[in-house]
Amino acid sequence: MIRYAARRLAFALFLVIAVSSASLLLSRLAPGDFVTESLGARASRQAIEQQRARFGLNRSFGAQYRDWLASVARLDFGYSMLYDRPVRDLIPERAANTAILALTALVCATLVGVPLGIVSGSRRGGLLSAAIRTASVVLLSMPPLLTSLFLVFAAARTGWLPIAGMRSATVPAGGGFMDLIRHLVVPAAAIALPLAAMLERLQAQAMAEVIAEPFVLAAVARGVPRSRIVWHGALKAALRPVAAVYGLIIGSLLSGSFAVEVITAWPGLGSLMLQALRTRDVYLVAGCAGAGALFLACGTLVSDLALAAIDPRTSDARAEAA
Amino acid sequence: MGQILTGLNRRLLVSLALAALCAAGCRSDSTSRSTAGLQGAVPRGGELLVSVRSEPRSFNRHAARDTTTDLVSKLTQGSLIRVNQVTQAVEPWLAESWTTAADGRSVTLHLARDVSFSDGHPFTAGDVLFAFEAAYDEKSGSALADVVQAGGKKLVVTATDPLTVVVTFPSPFAPGIRILNDLPILPRHKLEGALKAGTFRKSWGLDTPLSEIVGLGPFLVSEYVPGQRVVFARNPRYFAKAPDGGALPYLDRLVVEIIPDQSAELLRLESGQLDMMTSEIAPDAYAPLKRAADQGRVRLLDLGVSRNADGLWFNLKPGALGGDPRAAWLQRDELRRAISMAVDRKLFADTVFFGAGVPVYGPETPADKVWYWPGLPQTPHDTAAAKQLLASIGLTDHGRDGLLDDPQNRPVRFTLLTQKGRPNLERGAAVIRDELKKIGVTVDVVALDSGAVIDQLLHARYEAIYFNADKTDLDPGTNPDFWFSFGSAHVWNLEQRAPATPWERQIDALMTRQIASTDEAERQSLYADVQKIFFEHAPIVYFVAPRIYVAHSVRVTNLTPSEYRPQLLWRPDTVAVAR
Repeated sequence: MIRYAARRLAFALFLVIAVSSASLLLSRLAPGDFVTESLGARASRQAIEQQRARFGLNRSFGAQYRDWLASVARLDFGYSMLYDRPVRDLIPERAANTAILALTALVCATLVGVPLGIVSGSRRGGLLSAAIRTASVVLLSMPPLLTSLFLVFAAARTGWLPIAGMRSATVPAGGGFMDLIRHLVVPAAAIALPLAAMLERLQAQAMAEVIAEPFVLAAVARGVPRSRIVWHGALKAALRPVAAVYGLIIGSLLSGSFAVEVITAWPGLGSLMLQALRTRDVYLVAGCAGAGALFLACGTLVSDLALAAIDPRTSDARAEAA
Repeated sequence: MGQILTGLNRRLLVSLALAALCAAGCRSDSTSRSTAGLQGAVPRGGELLVSVRSEPRSFNRHAARDTTTDLVSKLTQGSLIRVNQVTQAVEPWLAESWTTAADGRSVTLHLARDVSFSDGHPFTAGDVLFAFEAAYDEKSGSALADVVQAGGKKLVVTATDPLTVVVTFPSPFAPGIRILNDLPILPRHKLEGALKAGTFRKSWGLDTPLSEIVGLGPFLVSEYVPGQRVVFARNPRYFAKAPDGGALPYLDRLVVEIIPDQSAELLRLESGQLDMMTSEIAPDAYAPLKRAADQGRVRLLDLGVSRNADGLWFNLKPGALGGDPRAAWLQRDELRRAISMAVDRKLFADTVFFGAGVPVYGPETPADKVWYWPGLPQTPHDTAAAKQLLASIGLTDHGRDGLLDDPQNRPVRFTLLTQKGRPNLERGAAVIRDELKKIGVTVDVVALDSGAVIDQLLHARYEAIYFNADKTDLDPGTNPDFWFSFGSAHVWNLEQRAPATPWERQIDALMTRQIASTDEAERQSLYADVQKIFFEHAPIVYFVAPRIYVAHSVRVTNLTPSEYRPQLLWRPDTVAVAR
């Protein structure tokens, strides 16, 4: 098990370095750079060359990459040209905001999607399951970008919720926590709704398969109440496919929240990376991409642990393989 | 003292006439030019909620040129003079008066008395000298170094006493002290150490304790939440006074929210969660805001025609196209003049700006009543004449397939670069492509990030570009980088050692005289000659200048809207909100 954990950790490290390096390479090789982007069309050649030298952009990519790798080994991810601050100072505060949004959306989606999936999967053919299925298909066909635009529009029309930002400039009555919750509703719902639909579909499929298993039929024959079979016996077996994709969901939440963060002005990693990309702040792009890879690695680890808790055979098999 | 503010008086007369014209041209419905006509006393106190698209890069204007850093500087710092963005007149600010020497080369500025920085430290001529030292310090590489230069040379600034500063220009310079508008006067007592240590550019970064950031402007930075907002509180030591003698600014607090997406900005404005945006409204957002304005939820202001228009230019650097045989016609005046004739400017305005634009034929738009030459010919939309002009340089339809070929039977085709993510530019490039197709010219439009377009421009690795070459100030004398052949914004052929063409040499000579002259009528006449030459050779082809619209909530009052960014906040100390 220790060897397995060590291998997973090494893989996570490799993933972070590989993704950051690829981002650095791609954003460095594309035409233009931070200096041309920030100085604009009227800057003199002299000013441009002076700034390029200041940021080290006049060196070859090889030299730049070598120095960056050496500093990464010291956990220094470079200096943001845009903010004139170390990347390692910028990422945590934004990653924390993204984590708040992503976890809220994940919890909401799980609490809504999984039970609805159990209901629709265990009662095939009923009106309720048909309604749930239809709603899920509609929500699945709407990307988070569209959902967030719709929710922002609804919030603007009704005036019930704040449209953008994470906290009010003046903390209203009810305190900072309630203010945060109010600001979370629109972006979290924009991410959670399609996610809940996906979990519902997965769970419904898995539940339908488990319901047809011989051990369930035997329990029915023994006269065990249906609700007990569904919520106790079948649920555990049916959770496996959902737990298996959880890691990917956590990883994809970061990219899914990208557009939502921009539309709802949520100050997370997505909006930071977008700004870094727009301004060609190569070290910040690499840092944001690395943080995203770290999210993905953590997500798959959590997923594996959840899977092992549900189905001990999985962890035994992986431990043997390790 | 006879010469005190003489230029100012002349400009004021012109400006008052302009203001009257603008007022007469106001729309009478919910879209108006100004909401400045306030009845009774201006309300004091309250909070204004403003949005920007990106956060500031620094609290030090010398370190960054982006619009948000500039806004922060305008809110927190003061400058010697202020150019009135509506009348274009130079107005006193930290310098309460000035006298110009008879030779026009030096100006003596008398500083306001009893002025102190927000931390209570007195403001003196030493701070003015420090501001110039910071701008010219080569180690710091200030973003303002180019701004406070005359003809590419530094000004000499001396202090004769703690409240008097003498600014000497390297040669007679007609725009004079208006170039000081963008130079914030920074506190020597706070930043001198950093300048000496060579770390000035890193000073006042976004992680600086806010108590360290002091200024002479109307507001202080009181809170910065990364990615969310910058909050400003009124500076209790701000020196300027309201007309009634009361303290300024009127507002207690100004909150700048960072909202990267314009749709979210508009929705917040419509729903009352925002008071104003710092940028103009995109043409496609006009209709929904007009509805909101008709319902009385927001005020929509028509600021008139922009003084800037996007333009198309070809790479005219000799030899830049290498051995490409198309260079024989790609760099010809006739091609650009034919393009100007082939593009229907009415269609262009309708497609790109949804009808909210006026045709333009030169670098100045009709909105600029001072420098626009009314005698400028208007190129007619005439595809037959355009084809004839192209035929005169050997570009004809050899294959009878509707497409033009050059004398060697190669297709007449070129690549047009433009900026990705700017709908006006992308739509404009598409209209140019479609219109030129009608005369048999094939255009391949390639949209790139702005940095990539600029990179291609700097390395002269392009055939044609459709982009914005905005002027930084109305006075042509403050744009030598655009007009002179050695200029860094002489976009069609950058930073030439010697003028590449006779007409560029002619423009150089005319602009040299124009900048040196102190006679306003002579300057206008010389500039008209420049515009005439520009029209004849069309190094940049302009099509349409858009109308500028901005919006604000109904509670905002005492505004002085201007076409220039930040349109509603260029004079933040006098903005007020109804309580």
